[in-house]
Amino acid sequence: MIDVELVILMPVVAAVLCGIAPRERAISWISIAMAVVGTAVTFWTCGPVFLDGTVIEYSLWYVDGMSAFFMMITSTVALMVSLYSRNYLGHEREEKALDAVSEKVYYVYLNLFVAVMLSVYTMSSLGLVWIVIEITTLISTFLVGFYRDEKSTEASWKYLIICSVGITLALIGISLVYASAVGVVGDETSALDWKVLMAAAPFLDPAILKTAMVLVVIGFGTKAGFAPMHTWLPDAHSQAPTPVSALLSATLLNCALYSILRFYTISEIAIPGFASTLMLLFGFMSLFVASMFILNSMDIKRTLAYSSIEHIGLITIGFGIGTETSIYAALFMVMAHSLTKPILFFCAGNIMQQYGTKDMSLVRGMGKKMPFTATMLSIGTLAIVGMPPFAVFMGEFTLFYAMVDSGLWMLLALAVTLIIVIFAGFALHIYPMFTGETDKDVHDPRGFTRHLPFVILTAGIVFFGLFMPEQMSNAIEGIVHGVFGGAL
Amino acid sequence: MDATLYENLIDICSIVMLLISVMAIASTRMGKLVQLFALHSLALSALAFIVAWYTGNNHIYIMFALTLVLKVYVIPKFLEYTMDKISIEREVEPVIGIPGSLLICAIMMMIAYLVTEPMLDSLSTLGRNCLAISLSVVFIGMFMMSARRKALTESIGLLLVENGLFLGAMTISHGMPLIVEFGVFFDVIIAVVIIGIFAYRINRTFKSIDVSNMRRLKD
Repeated sequence: MIDVELVILMPVVAAVLCGIAPRERAISWISIAMAVVGTAVTFWTCGPVFLDGTVIEYSLWYVDGMSAFFMMITSTVALMVSLYSRNYLGHEREEKALDAVSEKVYYVYLNLFVAVMLSVYTMSSLGLVWIVIEITTLISTFLVGFYRDEKSTEASWKYLIICSVGITLALIGISLVYASAVGVVGDETSALDWKVLMAAAPFLDPAILKTAMVLVVIGFGTKAGFAPMHTWLPDAHSQAPTPVSALLSATLLNCALYSILRFYTISEIAIPGFASTLMLLFGFMSLFVASMFILNSMDIKRTLAYSSIEHIGLITIGFGIGTETSIYAALFMVMAHSLTKPILFFCAGNIMQQYGTKDMSLVRGMGKKMPFTATMLSIGTLAIVGMPPFAVFMGEFTLFYAMVDSGLWMLLALAVTLIIVIFAGFALHIYPMFTGETDKDVHDPRGFTRHLPFVILTAGIVFFGLFMPEQMSNAIEGIVHGVFGGAL
Repeated sequence: MDATLYENLIDICSIVMLLISVMAIASTRMGKLVQLFALHSLALSALAFIVAWYTGNNHIYIMFALTLVLKVYVIPKFLEYTMDKISIEREVEPVIGIPGSLLICAIMMMIAYLVTEPMLDSLSTLGRNCLAISLSVVFIGMFMMSARRKALTESIGLLLVENGLFLGAMTISHGMPLIVEFGVFFDVIIAVVIIGIFAYRINRTFKSIDVSNMRRLKD
């Protein structure tokens, strides 16, 4: 059995091939080809795990339905980003903003970053997950600081320092859990494994576990973008090259979220109600902060970054409510957000390269001059604010239904109000961009690989907004069952 | 070694680490700060050696050797090399003055004792004191990261945090599984090297490594 190794190896091979490719024009094609192969391998390995609920478990690896779910999302988004990167970087090369070596470095880091993100979901031990998440920070710092100007250097420095400190807090939490678990389990090497911890959870010391849970949620929450530890997120997302912003938003935040969910599961078995209260608190804080900034921000990429904080907040609320329906809704929203957000970032990339600005108040007349981007941006905006018939709507609707079901009327009112504020913020800043006139010579960027990701992702969010295949629905229910400590 | 002697030695080592952290907050010279960090790591490696000897646990000997080689020698040399390379002035440049910083340290130590109190019942006698001290060192390291202007002081702050963490893990549960400790250790080393690279880059982009120059990104 080398399935799991193969999944992680594919992007690593891609990175190596990009690094040694003799012809610079070939690099982007190598990346795309390897991303296609990598995605195929991921689906081939994880598909059965996800659909049938089997578990791959050997040496360091542990892949269950939840891991498989997140891994398939990561691979899909990575493929889209590889496709979009080709033309995006090509345009930068034409504008002389980028040299050949930087382009090569970009693809090497991009693929390594994907490999590390995939491996987060495969680790059997909580300690190893921590290590891998720290490596995601270390690698993506170079991608955030890719342009090496003052702003991106500042953003990457902030990202590196804030996330390193945050995650150190999580490590303290992990060492506390280990101290508490090693006495129960007895075996030193396996005391941090998810499965062993799940079995040992009822016997863990509640006082230690509470402190540990707070530290872990704050620590990994920093990386997931929970307010008030989110300050690195808008900077990093806005300064990174646009394809990387999409990857950060749609997949990196999921990594941290996944670790919190695993921990949440253990904590809910030992001390029911504690972790969920914590999650509700951070969820609403994130939602509130995001709504305030979306209303006022003029920078398109910062707005999108705050929108990621909003969705992470909603997903966290779903876990905080802690009923089967709400967790189902949260998992569905993870997927919906990861498929929708890249569309918007790619639109932002098109706009930035044509208009040369990120300031939404300076962009006008898109409807006439960039019809394709304008259409996509308008679809993406409707989708991300939760309009039917897109996937995010289904997620939010299920989440609200779960709130009603649990009688949380006040929370429902608060969440709906904040989402309306966010809707207003988006409408206020995005829609004026379509109308009006512009003197600038702008047009839709050409290129098949540039348009393809828009089409695939839009098809995806419409599909999941209208239909929910029964197998998939059953599979997500299986994951939810696992969260409640059922047979994994 | 009998148990009382062991506990006393552990206590001495951890208290030395706490004192050095406070001295690091009080120091005004970059060179001195790096030396203090080396001493801090030396105390940590001594502690690792004592724990290893007492428990007879082989993997803690490995941690002891790694700490001694990398944190006492290699990382301080690397930091000094970086400082030479970007030829910064040797002042620390605190945002909060030294007396104020020391006061804040004292408050943080009290908070650490307060926070750990609910957990004390379930820990061995050895863990009780050390957990609070380890948390204090972590807090002091974080404070150094936020209250000092130079990019390099932030990396020393991160290293202090990491040392405090190992102190906690070592005394409460005799470390973590070997593979996890290895990973954490090398993550930290890579983090420090990357911070060094970025300090160099910040110096070139902003003509200074004063991180308070970086105030461009806001809403």
